[in-house]
Amino acid sequence: MVPHDLSKATKLKHVWFPQTGLWSSVQWITMTLQTVKSKNLRSITIYADHFVPVRVWEAARQEWNDLDQLLVQFWSTHSIRPRVMHPAGRDLRDRVRSLLPELTRRELVDLVER
Amino acid sequence: MLDASQRLTVLARTAMPRSLPPEILDLIVDHLHGEPATLKSCCAVSKSWVPRTRRNLFARVELNAHTYHIARWKKTFPDPFNSPACYTSTLCISDLPTLTVTDADVGSWICTFRNVVHLEVLYVGPVALVPFYGLSPTVRSLRLTHCTPEVFDLIYSFPLLEDLALVGLLPGSRVDVWNPPPTSPKLTGSLNLKTRGIAPPVARRLLDLPDGLRFSRINVVFFDDEAQSVKDLVLACSDILESLTTSYRPSGAFYSAPVTGQYLTAICRHRHTPDGSSRSL
Repeated sequence: MVPHDLSKATKLKHVWFPQTGLWSSVQWITMTLQTVKSKNLRSITIYADHFVPVRVWEAARQEWNDLDQLLVQFWSTHSIRPRVMHPAGRDLRDRVRSLLPELTRRELVDLVER
Repeated sequence: MLDASQRLTVLARTAMPRSLPPEILDLIVDHLHGEPATLKSCCAVSKSWVPRTRRNLFARVELNAHTYHIARWKKTFPDPFNSPACYTSTLCISDLPTLTVTDADVGSWICTFRNVVHLEVLYVGPVALVPFYGLSPTVRSLRLTHCTPEVFDLIYSFPLLEDLALVGLLPGSRVDVWNPPPTSPKLTGSLNLKTRGIAPPVARRLLDLPDGLRFSRINVVFFDDEAQSVKDLVLACSDILESLTTSYRPSGAFYSAPVTGQYLTAICRHRHTPDGSSRSL
């Protein structure tokens, strides 16, 4: 798993991660975002657009929680409010909220149905 | 002394133009963009309306060789010099195998598309792309699907090219024979690579360009064995990169496919190994 090295991308404004739902790629997203040094970053968008079985979400819970912590840091340091897009459905919305507990508790995330 | 009606007549003759200024007419016709039936009616108004109407009617031309569009185009506009192709800014051609090198002859129908800005060539397949070399010096956006590595000669024939999208790369005869061009296209816009296996060969050729890479927007989906190539591409554009859309798909994990309008998620039964073989999970 080779994350992107975005430490030299000082003009980076927007980062989008489409089709997230593959459990390993959540960790990869976290690793990639950890390399971001740009002060111009304005948006982070994550598409959790796969309908993944519950047991898989549970297996990936720790990785999502790590991402949750990192996104909270981005709010603190860059004032970036991440946007998480997910399939339509209240269950799925609740599931995404449970995977990002800190962002949800502090209301720092925009959940968007697609 | 003039009465009121006479004063109006004089006023109309002196103050009101007999026809609207061409700029206003252009503006009116431009607002009809997307209404081909109305634009066709406008064409019949007068000769002076034809060029401004054609500019909108033929702004985007889609030719599908499989459905004889190209044959119809050639039959409808047999004289290339009176063809409305010069008004086309977006040209989309698909199912290329029916094209021949003679289509690229001087004065041929392809050469008349000399002001194209956005060029899409779909389902290129293993055919010669010679007819499109340097088609229009103004091409800034190029989208190619199912092409062979020879397509890079085409890419480098557009000096102002900014946006590049490649979908599907077929094995070609010159995979390992590669001479970088002396000069690079601009390539300052977006790079779109969304097919498995396309990133490594594309990265190899783009990273060899003499002037380096300057894409400000990258959109790439990649798998395990392509990670290093994609990482190198992104790193090469670091200086001006503004937007990155990227998705990493580990081999042997979960995948989804659209089935009757809904997403069906299934578990990959086999995990692919680096040597290309597979084993059951």
